[in-house]
Amino acid sequence: MSTLNFGYGINRPRAIDLDNNDLRKSNAIIAEMPELQACIGCGSCTASCTAGAITNFNFRKLHTAVRRGEYRGVYEELSKCMLCGKCRLVCPRGINTRGLVMLIKRKLGDF
Amino acid sequence: MTFFAPFTIPFIVGTIFLFVAVATKWILWIARLPKVDRRLIAHNFFSLGTLAAIWEVVRESLLHAKIFRRNPLLGFMHMSLAFGWFLLIVVGWIETIVYLGFEMIPLQGHVFFKYFMPLNGIEAHIPLFEQLMDALLLLVLTGVALAWFKRIASKAMGMRRATKHVLFDRIALSALWFIFPARLVAESLTAALYGGNGFLTGTLGGFIGELLPTEVLTTLYEPAWWFYSSALGLFFVAMPFSRYMHIFTEIPLIFLRRWRLRPTLERKSYDNFEVEACSRCGICIDPCQLQEDLGIHDTQSVYFLRDRRYNMLSLKVANNCLMCGRCEAVCPVGINLTTLRINSRAKRRNIPHEGRYRYLTSLDRSSGEGKVGYFAGCMSSLTPAVQHSMERIFEAVGEAVWYADKDGGVCCGRPLMLSGETDAARKMVAYNTDLFRRHEITTLVTSCPICLRSFRENYHLDGIEVLHHSQYLDRLIAEGRLSVKQGEESYSYHDPCELGRGSEVYDEPRRVIEAVGELREPRHSRRDALCCGSSLANTVIGDEQQLRIARRMTRELEETAADAIVTACPLCHKAIARSTHHTVVDIAEVVARNIAE
Repeated sequence: MSTLNFGYGINRPRAIDLDNNDLRKSNAIIAEMPELQACIGCGSCTASCTAGAITNFNFRKLHTAVRRGEYRGVYEELSKCMLCGKCRLVCPRGINTRGLVMLIKRKLGDF
Repeated sequence: MTFFAPFTIPFIVGTIFLFVAVATKWILWIARLPKVDRRLIAHNFFSLGTLAAIWEVVRESLLHAKIFRRNPLLGFMHMSLAFGWFLLIVVGWIETIVYLGFEMIPLQGHVFFKYFMPLNGIEAHIPLFEQLMDALLLLVLTGVALAWFKRIASKAMGMRRATKHVLFDRIALSALWFIFPARLVAESLTAALYGGNGFLTGTLGGFIGELLPTEVLTTLYEPAWWFYSSALGLFFVAMPFSRYMHIFTEIPLIFLRRWRLRPTLERKSYDNFEVEACSRCGICIDPCQLQEDLGIHDTQSVYFLRDRRYNMLSLKVANNCLMCGRCEAVCPVGINLTTLRINSRAKRRNIPHEGRYRYLTSLDRSSGEGKVGYFAGCMSSLTPAVQHSMERIFEAVGEAVWYADKDGGVCCGRPLMLSGETDAARKMVAYNTDLFRRHEITTLVTSCPICLRSFRENYHLDGIEVLHHSQYLDRLIAEGRLSVKQGEESYSYHDPCELGRGSEVYDEPRRVIEAVGELREPRHSRRDALCCGSSLANTVIGDEQQLRIARRMTRELEETAADAIVTACPLCHKAIARSTHHTVVDIAEVVARNIAE
């Protein structure tokens, strides 16, 4: 018997499970680029993003997820980035965002 | 006649080793050249390029003309060692022929001729050759003395910083420094015992002869020749593994370059010639702003090439470069430092992901219609004044324009290329090329020098003329299509790296500025211009470091006391604007403000 499709479903819980998330990669990334901890999550990087203007690519979401140890799909998603570097120019905390994209891809490349 | 003595063994062993090592390298490098390169060699072998290469070898490998132009004393040091030694060999060769006729003489017979002369009972001396050989020895010794002097006072020879050498180089360097003083001693002792020789070794020999008793002279005689031969042998053995490999690499490099071989974004065998042709002279160190402004001393081109050559290149060294091209502009060997740096990065991290940039398929955000296309570039969207100014100018001259990326476009691909992701960048190149073709434009104007350079170097846009907006504006003014008011304001112009050294566009922006106001030049300009520090090529230095580079560069622009600072690159614009209180404008804004009604 098939269930009726009402056009909506239930979201998966969005709890951040820091007890079970493996933070080793996250810590390694932060160790190489400690300035990432200065991020205030303002979203300027996403707002100015070239790839973000034509897709739903969202850099703030990605690096936040990585910091929380949620790596699934990040590498694939991050490869949408064109490395144009506008995010670095607008970042109010002066984070080396281009270096960060490359660093995350390097660390998660085998994920 | 005998031309063998036990002391020659180190020399003979060294020479054979050197010959085998160099020949092996050359053969392997040439054999591994890709087909395209080998075809180029075959095609250009019998051409004027070959003659030009011979002349260039004389001018650069022997006389070191480029270094002379940089600093006469430094040039003289390199020339006296290279050309002096070369002449010592050639004249020495002729000397033996004159003495003995065309006879088969082993190599050591030529090199140690002064030793074998008394041994073979040659008593007659030809003063011309003896004086000439002494003069040449003196020339080389002057070079050695200058090299010593350079170790303690490189500043006096136009170099604020000299290269820090690795062990192999130190061994080879010490051997090289000993060769000629050893020769002087050995030949002087010979003169002391057997007479003859010219103004240098002869006089010194006479002096030693009077000072020391004959028993001492005969005891010292063989060891002196042993020492000379050992220094030569050691140098020859160390040579293929040290910086002195450049002697035997620069010559084939010059020929290959004249036959139109070039390094590409992918590594290939040709790179070996460029990498090993570096003599680590260190001329590239001084212009590097990372060195001067930030005190980073391990990433300059000389160290990058060294690390790459010995397979110890770290990601950090490969990535820590602005690719501003200031080192490339002064390199006396003319090595393509930027391309080599890019393809070093490519080897390390070009892992294209399946389906990457799939979102580019059937994407078209362009607007408007016209034969002239305007590609503002990613960065220009952060400097909207540039785009608005260009729109006003297009309107003023009545140009029908197709806007490629007014509503968000796709990157030109150069940033990815600079980071070594060449395969990923190609997808962008293919996308944009297709977009330009589909809209049938014949002229492409861009406001971003980074895009300009990639359109020119990495795209195949036959039939589409690619212009930077400064060139386009210059043309509009020259053709009288755009009339501008000559104002009172003065402008200090900053050459963006990618526009100046990268694309050789220096005069057009200057003419445009002169058409609307007074042009002032900072201390470093044109080929010598400083980088703004925000270069996309560097992903290592932090924000504060970028700012420090920008501040020093901006200070020079401020020193001209011009009313405004003008640049022609959105990235430079951003970098300058945040490090000064002066007005910073793009060249397009300057023109748009001064359009005559």
